[in-house]
Amino acid sequence: MLKNKTLLLVFRLTLGGLFVYAGIFKVLDPLDFAQNIRNYRLVGQSLSFIAAVVLPWLEILAGLALAAGIWKRVSALIISGLLVFFILLTLVTILRGLDVDCGCFGALSRKSGLGVIFEDTGMLFMGLCLLFAPAKRP
Amino acid sequence: MSETRKIIRQALVIGVLGVLLGAAVHLPLVKRFARGEFRETFFFQADYPGVVLITIQEAEDLWAAGETIFFDARGAGLYGEGHVPRARNLPEAESRQKFPADILELPRKRALVVYCEGGDCQSSLLLAKRLHDEGFKDIRVMTGGWEEWIKAGLPTETGDAEK
Repeated sequence: MLKNKTLLLVFRLTLGGLFVYAGIFKVLDPLDFAQNIRNYRLVGQSLSFIAAVVLPWLEILAGLALAAGIWKRVSALIISGLLVFFILLTLVTILRGLDVDCGCFGALSRKSGLGVIFEDTGMLFMGLCLLFAPAKRP
Repeated sequence: MSETRKIIRQALVIGVLGVLLGAAVHLPLVKRFARGEFRETFFFQADYPGVVLITIQEAEDLWAAGETIFFDARGAGLYGEGHVPRARNLPEAESRQKFPADILELPRKRALVVYCEGGDCQSSLLLAKRLHDEGFKDIRVMTGGWEEWIKAGLPTETGDAEK
């Protein structure tokens, strides 16, 4: 369990900031993001649309909460959960041999591949450190 | 126990807020979705006036006339195994790179046809959007893709991308 407060603060700001940033990119072009989701060929057209409308806001809200230090535990939980999902999704995509854009940062996205998994794992590490950080003493 | 309950409650609040914000910010899109749009494609024709979807027969006519440039949006491997004769390979997977200079020098009114593997492949549409963003005015997407082209028994060509 990581106890260094400064490091935890850096993790909070970095991870929260990244999620807000990623979410904003997706909010700016929902149809493009919907297409990104559809390209993974896991869910149909309607679910892709719904996910494209809702998911970016979950990222933004959880990112904001984490960075601001409100509801830290639950925002770290949501972000870690999303990251686990992204990592699994990328793994499945690599195994299926699909050639898709990861859709991670809107127009700045790269191909879905190992690089994305490394990044997500790094972020997940921060997320888990925050999730299991010692509770503030009263 | 109360800690778990608190976390579930907070997660629900964030989830519901996310749904509400998403619906509110994208209300026009959500309304169109509710009316039955986006069930086939997320491609919004009005955003790309120069992009037209065409059938294999139309593509064949254009190809036979020889005036239209064909672009293959698949990866170099698939392209090498077989493609529409005279088609250029522009893998959409390398879409972070800029278009080659000779493509950017083409007159913007030049008719272009793009295609990918077929089925629900999307890379031809993505390529079409990028070409549109470069200013090309006449881009046709061969929706049946390579699969339909072969099924129709049309001519093919193998080999790597010409330089």
